Amino acid sequence: MYIFEINNCKKQFNGNIILNDVSLKVKESEVVSIIGSSGSGKTTLLRCATLLETMDSGNLKYLGETVATTQNNKIKYADKKTIKKIKNYYGLVFQNFNLFPHWTVYKNIIDPVLSIQKRDKNIVDGEVDLLLKKIGLYDKKNNYPYELSGGQKQRVAIARALAMKPKILFFDEPTSALDPELTVEVLKIIKDLAKIKMTMVIVTHEMNFAKDVSDRIIFVDKGYIVEEGIAKDIIDNPREERTKQFLSKLSK
Amino acid sequence: MNLVSVSNSVINILPFRYLLFDEAIKISDIAVRVLAGTKNTLFIFFTTLILSLPLGLVIAFLRMSKIKIVSFITKSIISILRGTPLMLQLIVWFYMPYYVFGIKLSVNWRIISIIIGFSINYAAYFAEIYRAGITNIPIGQTEAATILGYSKSQSFFKIILPQMIKRVIPPVTNEIITLIKDTSLAFVLTYTEVFTLAKQVAASKTTIIPLFVAGVFYYIFNGIVAITMDKIEKSFKYFD
Ligand SMILES: Nc1ncnc2c1ncn2[C@@H]1O[C@H](COP(=O)(O)OP(=O)(O)OP(=O)(O)O)[C@@H](O)[C@H]1O
Ligand SMILES: [Mg+2]
Repeated sequence: MYIFEINNCKKQFNGNIILNDVSLKVKESEVVSIIGSSGSGKTTLLRCATLLETMDSGNLKYLGETVATTQNNKIKYADKKTIKKIKNYYGLVFQNFNLFPHWTVYKNIIDPVLSIQKRDKNIVDGEVDLLLKKIGLYDKKNNYPYELSGGQKQRVAIARALAMKPKILFFDEPTSALDPELTVEVLKIIKDLAKIKMTMVIVTHEMNFAKDVSDRIIFVDKGYIVEEGIAKDIIDNPREERTKQFLSKLSK
Repeated sequence: MNLVSVSNSVINILPFRYLLFDEAIKISDIAVRVLAGTKNTLFIFFTTLILSLPLGLVIAFLRMSKIKIVSFITKSIISILRGTPLMLQLIVWFYMPYYVFGIKLSVNWRIISIIIGFSINYAAYFAEIYRAGITNIPIGQTEAATILGYSKSQSFFKIILPQMIKRVIPPVTNEIITLIKDTSLAFVLTYTEVFTLAKQVAASKTTIIPLFVAGVFYYIFNGIVAITMDKIEKSFKYFD
């Protein structure tokens, strides 16, 4: 069974086709990276996967449970209750963190768990402390987001997503809003997550990181998956001409 | 020109001529009579605020509705409310039951129509301020909330509203200060707030002291409101 499965996803904006029949399946503990040039549709794909956008057509499943199906070219999304449940299965880490500025680090992490999952506060408190120690920000527990560096904010955003105990975590260029010296600390957290077998889909421009952390890499161009395969193969020996061009442009 | 005649002519043009001479005792009497209207002024002020601040939020929601016709109608109404004088609106509200429905105006209708007129007018202003405050919050806030699984109302009340309030305090304060001064418009319906009384007393006594008293009252009232709003604004300084 796949943790996440999207099939024949199509999406257009104002007549421009952004995603053209994209399919992606992710198994438990798998780390998949998505690479591709700017405007190729990577963010749109993650947004369709996380229900921030509705697909024009396609099928979407989490843990085998159907979120959207398409029959006779008509897409149908699951009812509210199912969607509410399925939202617990995934998390998304944004490029620009999107922490809640009026809440402390602690509240940012704990409030979603308490008000959405309604779990016992005493237990969750312990989990949050553990998470804060894991991301090395226990001493910032009672600080507000504006008091943190970009790298620290992103680590908190990751902790906030993890506190919900998702089955799969999506990342949309988690380090591209950061100064180079701050990317390392965020990438390290993600690598640690890979080590403990967190299932992840990561959109990134960091090729070395992608090669290092992922089991599989997908190259997207103009709304199509052009090439996919084992991380090392794609980065070191791409087969498709467009992949080669993209990678050589990056290494320049 | 000798010194005495200069000082006399100055004293003659000053309102506190009365203070200095014959009617010195009357001043407290006048002040008491004028300030009797403060009760009504404060009533208009607080009732308008209590009603228009939340009503503004409702109107802002209608204005931002995805249903085109709803947002269009709301937009038109807001534009009329903001584009015509409040004084005119007060008169219209007051006479509406009579001219439109042929209902005899009851005794209480005077104050009710004033409250309706003020509240709806101010709600229109607040609605536009709120809307600007909400649209200024990055869309990522709502998206992060949605992804985490907050419901629409949780997302609004827990995440958007506190950030909106922080943003709207300065423009809302401006409106509240204007409201204080606007309460004097109730005089068009000869409702006895401070200004109306001051005018009446001034006319009967041929002195402008009552107007001075009214002015001082408004000035102090404004000061208190400004300080209060400043305190509220500071209480939102803890986040950025
Ligand atoms: N809401 C929208 N309305 C209209 N066009 C959109 C919308 N969202 C995305 N697009 C367009 O879709 C295309 C793909 O955008 P997308 O953000 O998915 O690219 P990307 O691969 O994530 O690029 P980048 O690497 O720059 O983040 C772009 O041309 C963009 O202008
Ligand atoms: Mg993108």
